[in-house]
Amino acid sequence: MKELFPLKQVMGFVFSLVLTAVALSVVMFDMSFAMGMTILLITAFVQAMLQLMVFMHARETEDSGLILANVYYGVFIAVVTVFGSLLALIWGYM
Amino acid sequence: MKLDHSQPLEYSSEQGRLNILGFWIFIGAEVMLFGTLFASYFTLEGRHGSGPSGAEIFEIAPVLFETILLLTSSFTVGLAIHAMRLNNKKAMMTFFIITLVLGLAFLSVEIYEFTHYIHEGAGLTVSAFSSALLTTLGTHGLHVTLGLFWGIFILIQVAKRGFTPETANKSFIFSLYWHFLDVVWIFIFSFIYLKGMM
Repeated sequence: MKELFPLKQVMGFVFSLVLTAVALSVVMFDMSFAMGMTILLITAFVQAMLQLMVFMHARETEDSGLILANVYYGVFIAVVTVFGSLLALIWGYM
Repeated sequence: MKLDHSQPLEYSSEQGRLNILGFWIFIGAEVMLFGTLFASYFTLEGRHGSGPSGAEIFEIAPVLFETILLLTSSFTVGLAIHAMRLNNKKAMMTFFIITLVLGLAFLSVEIYEFTHYIHEGAGLTVSAFSSALLTTLGTHGLHVTLGLFWGIFILIQVAKRGFTPETANKSFIFSLYWHFLDVVWIFIFSFIYLKGMM
C-alpha cells in the first residue's frame, strides 16, 4: 500500500494545499491591493511550477528541453497578451 | 514495433514518445488560449454596468470547495500514473475512478455556481464583466467536461486491454491534460475569485 503513495507526490499535494491556504489569506486579512496581488502572483506561479515539475514529469525524458521551451514560450505569449492588454486598454488611461 | 524497455511503458515506442511531445505542444497553445481569455477578463472586469460586480456575486465557500476537489483529483491522477508504472492495474483504475468522481463533483459545484450567478442577475448578456467571466469559467468547465468523457473511454480501454504501450500512453497524456486543467483553475481561483473578493 505504501508504495502507491510516493513521498514526492504526497509532499507536492500537501505543499499545494499550503499554497492555497496562503493565497486565501488575501481575503481573510485586511491588506493593501499591491500586497495581496504580490502574494497571489507568487502562490499561483509556484503552484503552476509544482504541477509542472512534480506531477507532469516535465523533466524526466530527453525531450524535456523541447517540452519546457514550448511551455515557457506559451507562458511568455500569455503574459505578454495579458499585460499588453492591461497596458494598452486600462493602465494607460488611469 | 520497436520497444525500448528501459523507458516507462508510455514512452516505450517512438510513436508514444512523439504523442507525448505533441500533447505538450497542444498544452502550450492552450496556455495562450487561456492567456487571451484572462486578458479580456482583466480588461473588462470593471465594466459591469447596471449588473452586479464580481465582489457582489462571488462566494468563497463553493470556490474553495472546487479548488480542493480539483487539487485532490490532480493528486490522484498522479497516483494513478505512479500505480501504472508499478504495473498495478487495480490501483491504477481505482485512482483513475476517484479522479473522475472528483472531476464530476467539481463540475456539479460549478454548475451550481453558474445558476447562482444567473439568479443574481449576472447572465451571459448582462454586462461586459458577466460575459467575460462566464466565457472564461465556461471554457475551463467545458475542458473538464471533455476530460470526464475522455477519461471514461480510457478507463474502459485499460479495463479491456490492460497496460499496453498504447493504453499507457493514452493514460499518461490524459494525466497531463488533467494536471493542466488544475493549473488553469489555480489562476482562475487566484486572479478572478480571490482578486475579485479582495
